[in-house]
Amino acid sequence: MSSAPIPVTVIGGYLGAGKTTLVNRLLAGATGERIAVLVNDFGSVSIDASLIASSDGDTIRLANGCVCCSLAGGFVEAMTRVAEFDPRPDRLVVEASGVADPAAVAQYAHLPGFGLDAVVVLADAETVRRRADDALVGAHVRRQLAGADLVVLNKADLVDPATLERVCDWARTQADGVPIVAAVEAVVPLALLLGTAPRSATREAPRAEAHVDHATVTITGRTAVMRRALDDALAALPDGVVRVKGFVELTDPDGTRVLVQRVGARMRIVPFDRDPDSPPVQLVVIGLSGPAVAAAGRTLADALGATLAEPGIERHHQEHP
Amino acid sequence: MTDIRIFAARRVVTMNPSNPSATHVAVRDGRVLGAGTLDEVRGWGPSELDDTFRDHVLVPGMIDVHSHVFEGLSGSFPYHGRFGRHAADGRFMPGVATLDELLADLRRVDAEMTAAADDPHAPPEPLVSLGFDPVHLPGVRLDRHHLDTVSTTRPIFVFHASMHVATVNSAMLARHGIDRHTVATGVVRDADGEPTGELHELPAIALVASALAPIMRAASADSTILDFGRLALRAGLTSVGELGGQLLQRPAAVDTWSRLVNDPSFPVRVTIHNLGVPPGGDGDHDAAAAALVALRDRHSTDKLRFPGVKFVIDGSIQGWTAMMNWPGYYTGTDHGQLLTVPEQFVDWVRPYHRASIPVHVHCNGTATIDLWLDTVEQLVREDPWLDHRHTIQHSQLTTEAQLRRAKNLGMCVNIFANHLWYWGDVHYEQTVGPERANRLEPCGTAERLGVPYSLHSDASVTPLGPLHLMWCAVNRLTPSGRVLGEHEKITPYQALWAVTQGSAYQLHLDHLMGSIECGKYADFTVLDDDPLGVDPMALRDIGVWGTVLGGVARPVDRTDG
Repeated sequence: MSSAPIPVTVIGGYLGAGKTTLVNRLLAGATGERIAVLVNDFGSVSIDASLIASSDGDTIRLANGCVCCSLAGGFVEAMTRVAEFDPRPDRLVVEASGVADPAAVAQYAHLPGFGLDAVVVLADAETVRRRADDALVGAHVRRQLAGADLVVLNKADLVDPATLERVCDWARTQADGVPIVAAVEAVVPLALLLGTAPRSATREAPRAEAHVDHATVTITGRTAVMRRALDDALAALPDGVVRVKGFVELTDPDGTRVLVQRVGARMRIVPFDRDPDSPPVQLVVIGLSGPAVAAAGRTLADALGATLAEPGIERHHQEHP
Repeated sequence: MTDIRIFAARRVVTMNPSNPSATHVAVRDGRVLGAGTLDEVRGWGPSELDDTFRDHVLVPGMIDVHSHVFEGLSGSFPYHGRFGRHAADGRFMPGVATLDELLADLRRVDAEMTAAADDPHAPPEPLVSLGFDPVHLPGVRLDRHHLDTVSTTRPIFVFHASMHVATVNSAMLARHGIDRHTVATGVVRDADGEPTGELHELPAIALVASALAPIMRAASADSTILDFGRLALRAGLTSVGELGGQLLQRPAAVDTWSRLVNDPSFPVRVTIHNLGVPPGGDGDHDAAAAALVALRDRHSTDKLRFPGVKFVIDGSIQGWTAMMNWPGYYTGTDHGQLLTVPEQFVDWVRPYHRASIPVHVHCNGTATIDLWLDTVEQLVREDPWLDHRHTIQHSQLTTEAQLRRAKNLGMCVNIFANHLWYWGDVHYEQTVGPERANRLEPCGTAERLGVPYSLHSDASVTPLGPLHLMWCAVNRLTPSGRVLGEHEKITPYQALWAVTQGSAYQLHLDHLMGSIECGKYADFTVLDDDPLGVDPMALRDIGVWGTVLGGVARPVDRTDG
């Protein structure tokens, strides 16, 4: 495979958690990326007919370049099809079934031509605790959370703030060390969800956006770093950091350039060819609140002998219209 | 030339309760005119007496509702299960009891493949082995180092019986570039981070595409269906079921099945229950139910039928993936896996129920059996159907209370009796513990409660063989010599009923099959001895001469001796 692996984001969560809403939003929203989405239930995908470019039995192509495929023939078949799409998708999003273990589904992300980005698990803030105690499905719900790199507590508007906080605390016990984001109608900034920087603030979903605050900082460094220093620095990042992504040049072996992706506690550092003229350290830190991200960015920059790029903090936070 | 043929036999066991035993059967147009004495049956008119079976015993044609056409593949690849079995051509494949036996047989196959290769300089074809079951080799963990002693050049792929794990050698890892840098989680690593050769679950197994390709190719070949039929005949079956057909996804395969099975030379009737997976993944079960009705109405023949729909809602007991109620498993880690969202299940199944399509649900664990019972209760409240015969498939651990509900709801159970022998000791010692292992495959309780039940092999999980199923249900013996559940034993008569009348009832075909009786198909299993007369321990050793299918004798090819 000559080109870079297609990053795969797995969306999991029990029935009613908002997976389909999220998928519909990803497909319809203009993200600037060609996203391919694999879904279990084709029937639940609702796309405005005006956006559909073509549609056959198990594939819907949208005018914005996104594609939606059915998983009816299984993961291997569907992913083989996606790998052959021309033009090649920038990203693959896989919707796991309501009882599936998304971390197990994520294993398919290692098929040739693909690479795992993250496991995102949605939970219904109102019902998740009851479901997690259910004799029949409880173990599945808990297993889903335990395998997450990012938890989205959806339907946050259906519970009062005190309850939301309690559910958040409880979710933290289920998904240790994983960022937890509260959301309404499955609206989650793409920067958090997929690690894609929005082209402009207004391209993001407009209305419920205000419920999720997030911020990014960029770090640039002019000297290569030791692998050990990179590992330690990434491991030491505080809570509140959802993603770190970018490129680093290593000293051991000298000149190796790697792609760095950290989502929740999942770290992925893989060799990656890129423009040799680009700076040796170039990382973006994405998190939930401006001050926390700024602090994390400063710590990371210090550890890697790099600096926070001007203008410092870019905040993407909209007010209610 | 007369069109009535009278078969004379040492004994005819009819399983017709009002006429249990006979010496002669008169047949016309593929159906039974009557069973009785020669004097009783010759009154139908001029006839020809056929005494081919004068030393044999005729029983009603045996029926296995739940097997899979994958069974037809079993002779196409080297077999390394624990217990020996026959290939379709009659060859006996002995099975392996130790790691050394496995490796020795792999060496034999490797040498044969080398000798048979057209071009000795071409990259060696992969060696694909089926059936290996590590549960029978405690303390042994097969890895690439073992397989490297077989060959360092030919890629080797040992597919475990569970089909969830495969072990490959270094040559196979190298062919597909799998090394310490491969990130897939299912690639098991040793302490140094090197792959051990063990690949867990399909995402990792799919990395070695060159091993899966020959299996997929063989699975879709005509020869697999033909061998499925030959194996069914060899086992003494006159009707065999594919209980997991994919004709909704692959409608073109309907023609293949029709062409092969409806050919007069095909030796057995076939029933196909298709998986209730709407094609195109649109979740439209109404359309899928309509498609199954159309399939049934347009393509059913006397040889090939499409009697119902199949769902799978949990895993297996020996894989610790069946969904168990409290207190769960006896030892090991509970990996219970639902394959359906419980709240959605009734919505999935309802369209089939409304279309009068019997629904068969794979439930191995007690929790999923409850889910299926609850679902049927809701279905029959919404849309009364008194004779649905919806079925619990496998039904291995069904409790007495659950069987009582099944009875009240008009359901059938199809019991996986072979588990008693193949995994009985594993269930007693590891998965569910002594008490529940003793009620595993609860034929005795089903009999006491009057729940209509049958026995099945789930081939290729265990080989086709109704006599072996009967032997298990009657003797309940395990390889270690343990009798698993004295109180769940049934009699040979009851076991024979289960694999004839019991199966026919479950298929809604008991007016045509299941007994040797006026009006029904002239389908007989021809045995060397009387299953109701022999020592029950000898049931599985009774020789199968062959069958009579629709009045036509079908001898098993005995060239293997």
